[in-house]
Amino acid sequence: MDSSNDDALDIIITNVVATFRTRCHLNLRTIALEGTNVIYKPEVGKVLMKLRKPKITASIWSSGKIICTGATSEDDAKVGARRLARCLQKLGFKVRFSAFKVVNVLAVCSMPFAIHLVDFTKNNRPIASYEPELHPAATYRIKHLKATIQVFSTGSLTVTGPNVQNVATAVEQVYPLLFECQKPLREKRRGELRSQE
Amino acid sequence: MLMNLMRGPVKAPQLGSGFHTSVGKESRAQTLQSGKRQIQQLGSQLQLNQHCLDTAFNFFKMVVSKHLTRGRKMEHVIAACLYLVCRTEGTPHMLLDLSDLLQVNVYILGKTFLLLARELCINAPAIDPCLYIPRFAHMLDFGTKTHDVSMTALRLVQRMKRDWMHTGRRPSGLCGAALLVAARMHTFRRTVKDVISVVKVCQTTLRKRLTEFEETPTSQLTIDEFMRVDLEQECDPPSFTAGQHKTKMQQLENELTRKLDEVEGEISCYKNEIETELEKSRPKLRGIYAAYAREIDPEDTEVLSSASDLEEAESEEAELQAATQHLTQDFLCQVMEEEVGQDRKTDGVRQKMGPEEEGGGALRQVAPLATILGKLTTTAPFDLQQTFDPSPEDDETEHGVLDLDGIDDQEIEKYILNDREVQVKTELWMKQNAEYLQEQREKDERIRKEKEQGTYKEKKKKKSKKGEQVEALTAGEAIEKMLEKKKISRKINYDVLRDLNSRGGGSSPAHPPNTNTDVQQKLSRRRQRRSSGVNYELAANASIMGKRFHRLISTTTTTTKKKKRVESQVQNPVTMTTTTTTTTTTKAVAETSHDPEPHPTSSTAVPPTVEEEEEEEVEEEECVSALQLVGDYGCEEEEVF
Repeated sequence: MDSSNDDALDIIITNVVATFRTRCHLNLRTIALEGTNVIYKPEVGKVLMKLRKPKITASIWSSGKIICTGATSEDDAKVGARRLARCLQKLGFKVRFSAFKVVNVLAVCSMPFAIHLVDFTKNNRPIASYEPELHPAATYRIKHLKATIQVFSTGSLTVTGPNVQNVATAVEQVYPLLFECQKPLREKRRGELRSQE
Repeated sequence: MLMNLMRGPVKAPQLGSGFHTSVGKESRAQTLQSGKRQIQQLGSQLQLNQHCLDTAFNFFKMVVSKHLTRGRKMEHVIAACLYLVCRTEGTPHMLLDLSDLLQVNVYILGKTFLLLARELCINAPAIDPCLYIPRFAHMLDFGTKTHDVSMTALRLVQRMKRDWMHTGRRPSGLCGAALLVAARMHTFRRTVKDVISVVKVCQTTLRKRLTEFEETPTSQLTIDEFMRVDLEQECDPPSFTAGQHKTKMQQLENELTRKLDEVEGEISCYKNEIETELEKSRPKLRGIYAAYAREIDPEDTEVLSSASDLEEAESEEAELQAATQHLTQDFLCQVMEEEVGQDRKTDGVRQKMGPEEEGGGALRQVAPLATILGKLTTTAPFDLQQTFDPSPEDDETEHGVLDLDGIDDQEIEKYILNDREVQVKTELWMKQNAEYLQEQREKDERIRKEKEQGTYKEKKKKKSKKGEQVEALTAGEAIEKMLEKKKISRKINYDVLRDLNSRGGGSSPAHPPNTNTDVQQKLSRRRQRRSSGVNYELAANASIMGKRFHRLISTTTTTTKKKKRVESQVQNPVTMTTTTTTTTTTKAVAETSHDPEPHPTSSTAVPPTVEEEEEEEVEEEECVSALQLVGDYGCEEEEVF
């Protein structure tokens, strides 16, 4: 049982959120009427445009600010954003691609052991918080990385952070703490399960 | 308590120089007092003892000193403080109880609670479900055996904890399950419904907990055994085992599908043979169809052979569906269904009617299929290529020019509809959003009309800080106006200010009408808007401070008498404000103004909270009319006091 087991742990990035600006005013109605895969929400004042490849949903505001969500990697997000800008260009707007920034990355990870949340919270008092009445997971916030990790009792983690590197570092940091409060699968029980099936 | 409340406003006028600081403390004291009152109220409803309430008040004081009440409802903060106390003391109160009392969403309270706990660095110990058992047991009405049932339930909960059922779950759910089982063990008939009403979880949750408990080995023990023995073995959390279960099922499924594929391969061979046989025996098509039939055959066989495996047909179907979306032709979808239907039909026995129908159906498919397949074959490789191109980064951010590498223009063309499609979409969109467009049109019309009338008020969301330049004839007036605009404090006593600068009311009588009309105009223009609350407030509070009364009196009385009057006058308009909230008749105001004494308590409670629009509007009207009244009866006022 290693305690520095990053290779064995799969950190799967499920969502990357990025923003960029087109530096020009966009007419939402034109986009809504001439684009495919668009949803226009006039009450809120934005257009949702969905790209198929890479699978991205973009919220477009008339000021030219665009938020892209749903990408599975940072590069994907960038390609998607550029595709989107190209599409807008074709619709006739003088689009310039500027200020592209990845704002949030969401990743999931699964530990091979279950975790005792109460112990985990006790050991890491102010940084970790656990309210079973409100949410089944314990929240661990790493301030200097600006990352939040939600730890579930089954050993699954969801990590959110400003970029992929931070997310990976966060998982590395929290692993030893989780390892201490683990509850490994019992052999007898595993045998029982096998025999049941 | 009464003395405290009275001291507040009475103190202010007497301090000449440092009234800013006293005003600040007064506000803080009032906040703390109202907080204390609310804590007492809520705490009594929860049946907390005095010690807890005092601790809660201490927490509240800390919160206020750290300015954490800003931007939060007082109710939420109070509730969070109380809950904090409950947690630290270990009382069996749930956040749900508090939210029930306040009718606020639990998660909002929870958010506030977590924030306060973090800011005050208070480590609330984790909730133990064992704490709730006695409370729920009492509510379930077990009579004399309550204690026994509670003990059994406690043991059950402890067992659950060992079996890892409690992490990540609401403690109340566990308690509910434990109590239900304990009740049954002691031959009490408590249904699930009874338990839920007490414990506040839903039926599904309770059932789930019971089934989970059933799966633990402890459930196999008899009652006596359970009371005596405690099994050594611990279980894994149910969600963990469920997850493992899932992965196992998935593996099984994969194996099965693989086997299925093999079997299907065999079936498809038989299918092909059957088809070829049937085609040979199919009646020849004559006339126009003959020509098509020749075309069909290569296409058809191509399609059929390639689509013989169900999986491939499905993938083609997917591709074709994608193409249909691109071209927005609905009938293709129908065609697709038919084709799939046909493929599936080939498994079964074909009837004579079948081949003809299929031949006809295949006809319709031919033309679109050809075009679709044609297009797809050209674009598909294109797209695949483009995705592997690298994406350069640097230049874009600097110049803002869009780099076109890795972007397939053709694909993007597909994202844009052509003219006819635009027309269709425009129509659809117009119809769909007819209401919204109607609203917009009405709004525009309204604005246009108002513009013509000259009463167009721009509905801007931000308040304009730069007000009009108001003329002030004296330095005192100028200072007042400045303070109005700068909104330093609403509790400044303008009387004292004026005293400092101008003795005697020579200039003052000229001003009340001015400022009155000023205020009136402002009122009429901005009645609906809260943003001019400042003017309201100040005008209202000026009235509270006895602006007009004092001015009038200053004209008629000498300055020496002012100090005495001020005291009584302060209470006067205060009572006026309270009565305006209850009755809106001017007579009532005039009457009550004669009796300041009996209403000190209610009055002083009112000023800090008198900020509502209607009250202010009413006050304004009242002040004006009262002013007029008083203007008439100026001499009488003097006599009364």
